[in-house]
Amino acid sequence: MSMLVPCPTCGRRPFTEFTFGGELRDVASADAASDFARVYLHDNAAGPQQERWFHLLGCRRWVTVTRDTGTNRVEA
Amino acid sequence: MPSLRLDGRRLDCHDGDTIASAAFRAGVRTFSRSIKAHRRRGLYCGTGDCANCLVTVDGLPGERACVMPARDGMRVERETGWPSVDRDALAINDRLHRFMPVGFYYKVFARPRWLWPIAERVIRRATGTGTLPAVVAARHTRTRFVRVHTLVIGGGVAGLAAAATAAHDRSVVLATEAALGAEVTDPAARDTIARLAAEARAAGAELLEGHTAIGIYEGPSAALLGPDELVEVEAERVIVATGAIEAHGVFPGNDLPGVWLGRGAARMAAIHNVPIGTRAVVVANTGDGAELADALRTAGTDVTLVAGRVLEARGGRQVDSITVLTPEGRRAFACDALVLSLGWAPRDTLLRMTAEPEVVGAGDVVRPGCTLAEAEASGRAAATGTADEPREADPWPITEHDGYVCVCEDVSMHDLERAWDEGWTSSEILKRYTTATMGPCQGALCSRHLAEHARAKGAAPAARGRTTARPPVRGPRLGDLIGGVHEQVERRTALHERHVAAGARMDHSGVWLRPGTYGDVADEIRAARQRVSVMDVSTLGTFLVAGRDARTLLDHVFPIDVGAIAAGRARYLLALDEAGYVMDDGLLAALADGSYFLTSTSGGADRMEAWLRNWIDRLDLHVHLVNQTAQLGAINVAGPHARDLLATLSDDDLSREALPYPGHADITVAGVPCRAIAAGFVGELSFELHHPRGRSVELWDALLAAGAAWDIRPHGLDALDVLRLEKGHVYLAQDTMPDDHPAKLGLGWAVASTKKEFIGKRALERMDALPLERRLVGLRFDGPPQRGHPLALDGAIVGRITSCAVSEAANGPVGLGWLRAVGGEFPSVLRAGEVTATVSPTPFYDPDGERLRG
Repeated sequence: MSMLVPCPTCGRRPFTEFTFGGELRDVASADAASDFARVYLHDNAAGPQQERWFHLLGCRRWVTVTRDTGTNRVEA
Repeated sequence: MPSLRLDGRRLDCHDGDTIASAAFRAGVRTFSRSIKAHRRRGLYCGTGDCANCLVTVDGLPGERACVMPARDGMRVERETGWPSVDRDALAINDRLHRFMPVGFYYKVFARPRWLWPIAERVIRRATGTGTLPAVVAARHTRTRFVRVHTLVIGGGVAGLAAAATAAHDRSVVLATEAALGAEVTDPAARDTIARLAAEARAAGAELLEGHTAIGIYEGPSAALLGPDELVEVEAERVIVATGAIEAHGVFPGNDLPGVWLGRGAARMAAIHNVPIGTRAVVVANTGDGAELADALRTAGTDVTLVAGRVLEARGGRQVDSITVLTPEGRRAFACDALVLSLGWAPRDTLLRMTAEPEVVGAGDVVRPGCTLAEAEASGRAAATGTADEPREADPWPITEHDGYVCVCEDVSMHDLERAWDEGWTSSEILKRYTTATMGPCQGALCSRHLAEHARAKGAAPAARGRTTARPPVRGPRLGDLIGGVHEQVERRTALHERHVAAGARMDHSGVWLRPGTYGDVADEIRAARQRVSVMDVSTLGTFLVAGRDARTLLDHVFPIDVGAIAAGRARYLLALDEAGYVMDDGLLAALADGSYFLTSTSGGADRMEAWLRNWIDRLDLHVHLVNQTAQLGAINVAGPHARDLLATLSDDDLSREALPYPGHADITVAGVPCRAIAAGFVGELSFELHHPRGRSVELWDALLAAGAAWDIRPHGLDALDVLRLEKGHVYLAQDTMPDDHPAKLGLGWAVASTKKEFIGKRALERMDALPLERRLVGLRFDGPPQRGHPLALDGAIVGRITSCAVSEAANGPVGLGWLRAVGGEFPSVLRAGEVTATVSPTPFYDPDGERLRG
């Protein structure tokens, strides 16, 4: 399997240079109830999903990309 | 004349010979025995597509004789048949077919159950192909990584045209299995290939001859197997131009030696000048008939060319007569070779491996049977982004109800019919039940037939598709697959040579190599407890956190009150994730200029950096985060005489007031600038000396030399494990689990619950409202404990020992372990096998921490 992740600094690079940071979620919750959903109840979408990748073996910058989890196709 | 040995027999090799052409010239007709029925199998495709001619070459099995060049001195063995491939006792199986119906191994030996292991041993010995050598010289294939705009697979007319066109303004790699043009029998095609190869080279395309694409993956990316390298290619576009072969014909006797597919037969005659027989019949429904007949005649074969449907081929050791239904009616021929050109079968396995839109086809693989001009146009179009859509090859009706569909696995039309009647009514299920398409040729011949059979039987559209193609297309060797794997990443500290010279046993600890012990663990522990000791802790993650929002970041991310840390002081910290679980721990030191120095565990440095950068990014903070892990070395000086030792090497003020616990100061030790942090992981007065990595050796040497006055010893991981355990300090990941919040670990004190907000706070509040169902406790034992041993209460397992050691300082065996609440209470006395474990408060040693302040 291979996949290229677009890095704003380094360009499109193999995903093996990155670590996966999970779905893009809000940074904080309004209240305790919504915090439970934010932290535990992930969408786990079958299809396009916004997610975070960290360019560990590169510039060490985070990027947010849209990946189709069905096809592994990544848009910037 | 060069020669090779086939089963011990010497065969002459002519110029350009393959193993198969040398053997065929010498009269060899049977190249293998089929897997179940042990029928004779001869050269069939002659193009490397089927598995009839797999042989063992110089001890390595599974080589295709029809494409492997013959070399002087080669030792070749045919792989199947007992006692030999020519006289095979198991050929009796061919007459016992009714005892081995399709899927028989799912049914025949299923009851009684004890029979199957015995039956399996017998079946294994009777089937299969070559034998892997038990001992073979290690072969590590080099792996090369290539990024390129266009990857072209296939060095025929379409592939070369695509490469030549794309190379004008893009980087191009073209992979071709054989040397360019070497397998082409048509002179016009050879000329076109020479012209296009020159054009492609001139335009700058890299042409990799002898490289086989074994798979296409997401990306798209592809793996190419060369003679001495594995090339992993990542491409913007992949053009598959692997061509087509003649369709596999299904009729009674279709697997007899002497039945050929057209191009393989033409190669044998026109390239190797070996007649495929004395009298051949070419049955051609494609436009290639006349050309094939001409090619065969060049080697002196008498050829009859007809169109039509083959009804039957008959023969014993090889074909001797056939019946063909021609437009004029049934005709019988006596012949010793039957050459088939019934239709086209695109070599589309690679195209069917991925749904990536950047993977396109060109030439015969999408336009089977196209002319040279059409192939060139198709290649050029693919290179400019207007590739031809695959056109389904002419479907041919399956009218003959006998014959082998899958030659590799001995699956006949009868077997498919029977499987269908048993209820396996889709192409994918038929494949799994009959194992058709699952042999060494990976369905190159029969995948289309399987789908066609399902269609003819009236399967629903979703159940009659081509079965999924998977890598590898060609069998790589184990050494090819492990290419690059042996290159283990290993980090060494600046003091590595010193440790080795001191006789240390170096252990792998994550990616680091660290000293386990220098020989005497007990004395290493005593040195730290009673005298003075040093440890190389350069592996700790170290970070400088600076900038306008440094404190805001740390306050938000960590559960401690960052503002309460005065400059010059330090604090233990936990890193929690959003679920309140402990990810890592470390120390945070407040520097005089408002920035911070942060340490993490040795294995957690990358994760800590990623975690902080994520929040800098998400919260849009102005923070400079410098990962100093690789830049700084660190030596921990520990023991009652630690301060005395540093005093002999430093003019700085090292008093308790200037360097309190927990605190830090920038000092100079033996001329080396150090950030000294008074820390307490080992439970003694100790100073982590963080310093420029390039000066680690001189600092280490100075400390050991000056420490001789106190009989100093360096200590390694083994001693550290005991020292920290005596203090009840946890090793993250060894003593903890991924879902541990601080209270479970007894680390609730490390969370400033008065803080309004930090990552994980809401989650901690949620969990605090629930009863604690599991927690980490200190344990004392009345005998030698064993790490990992279950802890039992009245015979029921309620916990597990995660760390333990026999400790001098704690007066006996102690440990840490998990306990589950039983009826809302945590039990206090447990059994660990023969040993009794009693829950005990921690630390086991110096509970008030007086020694830390020394």
